[in-house]
Amino acid sequence: MKKESTHLPLFILGGVILYFLSGMVDELRVYQGASIAVYVIAISSLILLTGYSGQVSLGHGALLAIGAYSAAISKNELGFPVLASFIVAVIITAAGGALLGAAAARLSGPYLAGTTLALAVGLPSLANQFEILGGEQGLLFDVGFPPLSLGEDFTQYKWFFWIAGLAALISMWLVNNILKSRYGRTWRAGRANDVAAQLAGINTGRSKVLAFTISAGIAGLSGALLSMTIGTVSPSAFPLALSFSLLTGAVLAGITTLGGVILGAFVLVAIPEVADVIAHRLGASEGVTTNLPGLIVSGLLILTVLFVPNGPVEQHRARKAKHEALLGSKHK
Amino acid sequence: MQLLNTLLIGITAGSIYALMAIAFVLVWRSTRVVNFAQAGMALLSTYFGYEAVSRIGSFWVALPVAMIGGAIFAALVELILMRMLVKHASSGPIAGVAPIIATLGLLGVIRAVISMIWGGQDLRIVAPISNNGFTINGSTLVFSPLKLLILVVVVILLILLSVLFQKTNLGLALRASAHAPEIARLSGVRVDAVRTLGWALAGAAGAVAGLFQTVNGNGNFSPDSIEFSLLLVSGFIAAVIGGLDSLLGAVLGGLFLGISISFVLIYVSSGLFFIAPFVILLVVLFVRPQGIIGVKAGRRA
Repeated sequence: MKKESTHLPLFILGGVILYFLSGMVDELRVYQGASIAVYVIAISSLILLTGYSGQVSLGHGALLAIGAYSAAISKNELGFPVLASFIVAVIITAAGGALLGAAAARLSGPYLAGTTLALAVGLPSLANQFEILGGEQGLLFDVGFPPLSLGEDFTQYKWFFWIAGLAALISMWLVNNILKSRYGRTWRAGRANDVAAQLAGINTGRSKVLAFTISAGIAGLSGALLSMTIGTVSPSAFPLALSFSLLTGAVLAGITTLGGVILGAFVLVAIPEVADVIAHRLGASEGVTTNLPGLIVSGLLILTVLFVPNGPVEQHRARKAKHEALLGSKHK
Repeated sequence: MQLLNTLLIGITAGSIYALMAIAFVLVWRSTRVVNFAQAGMALLSTYFGYEAVSRIGSFWVALPVAMIGGAIFAALVELILMRMLVKHASSGPIAGVAPIIATLGLLGVIRAVISMIWGGQDLRIVAPISNNGFTINGSTLVFSPLKLLILVVVVILLILLSVLFQKTNLGLALRASAHAPEIARLSGVRVDAVRTLGWALAGAAGAVAGLFQTVNGNGNFSPDSIEFSLLLVSGFIAAVIGGLDSLLGAVLGGLFLGISISFVLIYVSSGLFFIAPFVILLVVLFVRPQGIIGVKAGRRA
């Protein structure tokens, strides 16, 4: 068997393309690009957890919130530099994920889904409990201006985009290689058949906790980046709807297809804009206009599960494989 | 006095959670799906009830209207969405999580459609009787005629439900399809129809829970009201505490949850309203993972 490459050059190439792209589009697109990068990270963490280790999280938004608050507090209160505050976000959220994972490893399917849902409903309300979390208004999280060396006309949004884009590339590369490693295979084995995996000598409990920990760390990073693009950290930035959107993105990406995350993230960012266009075209009332994005997100979720249950990318790959197999048999 | 108050508030809230938990259990028993859209269905039924109240003016008409509306809607969901799901998404890595994701999507769709039809603002259903506390020996209880009424109605519904399940042929069919669908089918039970019926009953139970949750609060409700997220989470947790498979367990779980939350709020801090259910769930899962009414198979659904 040939040794799998780590695809490092591919990711570096991606970075170079993003670098030039960010110089060519207008401010709004750059901001949306930053949002896509944030979603890419969040969705890839969900794919690692749900698609590979088979644990459903309906409360990923709560993990993002933990990351965002850890970053803001470590930066504001403890005076950490920005990069360090991102690392703190990863570490704290991973620790939280390990705790949650220890509980989760005893659960499966709907039980875990409900538990994470309860967390997502409950956690944001804690912001009003402790003064340090800043209540409903939340905390400021300002990563500062872009360094002057980048030039006078280097905008704030472009700076966000660079940070988020770089983080997305690094975490995609990491996740991609973790999923291809022994751990990825362990998770898939445990998901496909718990008992068989245990017979093969896998400690499925421990492997699930590990998946939860890694996934949470990545989710924490995306939470910190999300609050960077907003500028503040507040409970209202992490509603239940965020958790559901992320799940939609993951399902759209194809729950086991890491390569699909860009598609999933892109769709999530594009939906509000598309909904706006549709609503204007139809001349819809304000009530319809404001709720159309929500309807589309949820509708897509249902339709995807029904008609392309394993994601469009996977579906295409399966069809292609079938096609090639057919061709192959003809040649014989 | 405070102890009594705490207990009574807890029991009232708990009886509403119990109804919601019953809805979860009915759906779980009939199709092995945890219906995360349950709260959305309850919300929709509450809007049906609101329409009835604003047209006819009586809460006592609204209640059956909401129940029937909720039942029909839930039956349609089972007939259309759930059956398609079984047909399309029963293989591959998604199979295990497909029902969860689909019902979650349904929750979002219901919310969005409600906001489009009725708008996002608060609507109001006035309670049929006073929510001012009883006065005993000069001191006022938090327990009110309304809360008493809720308790009475919930108890009546529970009795009706248990008669249905224990004493009628239909109940036997429901139980048989839940526990041994293949054998039930062989003995001539129309398992598919019975499943739809299970969903319909759940829809009706959820409708009552939704209406009562609304009037037991301040009477206001909106598509985004946190009350319904709470109802979803609490109902689910109550069902899990009760073992997810047992109606009696759901009732006990609801009461247990309601009373524990009430004690936490009054004796610890009222700000813990939203996080308390999660903590209670974690404690229960660690201490008694098989639920109050033990299920031998454990938690691996």
